[in-house]
Amino acid sequence: MSTATASGPIVALKNVTKTYQQGAIEVHALRGLDLVIEPGEFTAISGPSGSGKSTALNLIGGLDTPTGGSVQVEGHDLGALGRKALSDLRRDRIGFVFQAYNLVPVLTAAENAEMVLALQGVDDKTRRAKVTALLDQVGLQGLADRRPDELSGGQQQRVAIARAIAAQPAIVLADEPTANVDSATAEMLLDLMERLNQDLGVTFLFSTHDPRVMARAKRLINLVDGKVDSDERRDG
Amino acid sequence: MKLSRMAWRNVWRNSRRSWVTICAMSIGLLVMIEYAGLVRGYLQQMERQILEVEIGDVQIHAKGYRDDPSLFIRMSDSDAVVTALEAAGFKVSPRLLGAGLAAAADNSSGAMLLGLDPKRDAAVSKVSQMVAKGQWLDATKPGEAVIGRWLARTLELTVGGEIVVLSQAADGSTANEVYKIRGILGSVGHGIDRGGVFLTSDAFRELMSLPKGAHRIIVRIPTDMSLSQAELALKPLAAGHEVKTWKALLPVLAQMFEATQGAMTIMFLIIFVAVGIVLLNTMLMAVFERVQEIGILKALGFSPFSVLRLIFIESGIQTAISVAIGVLLSIPATWYMTEHGLEMGPEGGISLQGVALARVWYAAPSVDTLLLPIFVLLFVIFFAVLYPAVKAAVIRPVEAIRHR
Ligand SMILES: Nc1ncnc2c1ncn2[C@@H]1O[C@H](COP(=O)(O)OP(=O)(O)OP(=O)(O)O)[C@@H](O)[C@H]1O
Ligand SMILES: [Mg+2]
Repeated sequence: MSTATASGPIVALKNVTKTYQQGAIEVHALRGLDLVIEPGEFTAISGPSGSGKSTALNLIGGLDTPTGGSVQVEGHDLGALGRKALSDLRRDRIGFVFQAYNLVPVLTAAENAEMVLALQGVDDKTRRAKVTALLDQVGLQGLADRRPDELSGGQQQRVAIARAIAAQPAIVLADEPTANVDSATAEMLLDLMERLNQDLGVTFLFSTHDPRVMARAKRLINLVDGKVDSDERRDG
Repeated sequence: MKLSRMAWRNVWRNSRRSWVTICAMSIGLLVMIEYAGLVRGYLQQMERQILEVEIGDVQIHAKGYRDDPSLFIRMSDSDAVVTALEAAGFKVSPRLLGAGLAAAADNSSGAMLLGLDPKRDAAVSKVSQMVAKGQWLDATKPGEAVIGRWLARTLELTVGGEIVVLSQAADGSTANEVYKIRGILGSVGHGIDRGGVFLTSDAFRELMSLPKGAHRIIVRIPTDMSLSQAELALKPLAAGHEVKTWKALLPVLAQMFEATQGAMTIMFLIIFVAVGIVLLNTMLMAVFERVQEIGILKALGFSPFSVLRLIFIESGIQTAISVAIGVLLSIPATWYMTEHGLEMGPEGGISLQGVALARVWYAAPSVDTLLLPIFVLLFVIFFAVLYPAVKAAVIRPVEAIRHR
């Protein structure tokens, strides 16, 4: 996958609006969102329920299309991409971690982790080697053959993170990745993500409700009513 | 990850539901295989009875004989017709027919007299092979008769006994002759069982004072010739006479044959629609309870076509197991149906247009009776799965993830 602008931002949202039609009522989920994410960021999106966090992440991930404005990922305007190109971009450049039902229950941890690589057509041997290393990296040594229901919630999310970073995407989008785990587990997941960000340079963009998770972000964007309310950077 | 491995594991996620589906499909298939075999057997049985015993493929009569079966309405040129038909490749047997009274000791009974050439008749009719006691007629022994089994019982006759036949001869005189019983037939058909008295043509002519001619010519056609082709070919060869196929002679039976095939089609439909609904329901449930999962697969890069294939493979696995079980179970079931048959008619039996309908249906399995139900099943399953599969393929990740 070629990158259009090697040194430009990974994500650029310009005046993005998203309106849902709920029967006769129009729901304005996003009302002119501007957002730029640079490589290497570790950014959290916070905001009250209904403020548009999930909507924003879905648009960046190419899972949904905006009503207005433009969404760019690595310089590609998603609105200009065909279905196949969009799906390839998603598979090759974006990692997803969802809040729940992340893993395919009938597949083992290793099989779940290698899913994206398999979809890319990476051969068996390379895949196996990569996944073994990945599961080590996310702290799941020896659990490769467990099914999701034989793993704790935190371990399941680690598998999801392993899957998300397996294909070395430009960015990992995580919608409330810690919402379904206890706070100690959430801390450990944050540790993991932070380490991947620091050691491997993986760019993370995640949403959260949890103040302790927000506190760990290097950049915190607060959404209110589908607009950026505050955008604060820490550390530098 | 191989799609087929994922599909295989998905099938056993809800193993009870999958087994219920598999059972329904296997039983549906089994019933259809057996039913198809039985219907084929029944039709064969009936056709054999009609073609080989009762009627033949085609019968030729003098015009008007069938409306008024009189000794006098006969084909006087029957020898020429027989020669022409045999030259054209048909197997034929001319028969002389008459009515009379049969008596032995103190008993008497109405009798149906048949005069025929024993050798020729054996080539067109299985009656000669149905002799239960004694032997079939011998052209060189015109003093001997073969009779139906109920007639033998009524007259308390056994092989070697003597039967007196009374009738009115063609010249107006009283026909009256004694014959020695050469053979007693087994179960042939109602008419013959009750009153059939088979004589050689010579004996019949002698008895009835008929110099030549025949009342009926029974025709068997070559196996590669259709009934309608045969009818066309026969008409000019038997000019001036009435040529009728068995279907024209027994229209009600011919219709019943078609109805039986129609009934089978309807039964196929009912069973397979039911099986289709079971599978449709299973796969719909399997899709709906996995909306999020499928949505996430699609978010990760699964194409709609891959999802479609996944659902089809899952159904395919259940179908393959069902077909294997259904076919396996059909082996002993078919064996039983072939050996012992299935009682379908009432005690005593029914006859239609003088032909006794088979009371016990025996299966006559063939490649068709096995493959047709399987192909129909696959066809129905394809359509039953199409809807849930398409439903799954078009799941949108955003909606799926919100759906909880
Ligand atoms: N598919 C949809 N159809 C209709 N309305 C929708 C849809 N998706 C989101 N919305 C609405 O858009 C608004 C923003 O939703 P969104 O899920 O982005 O909020 P959120 O910030 O993620 O909330 P939460 O913290 O509860 O997850 C909400 O009012 C929501 O009800
Ligand atoms: Mg949300």
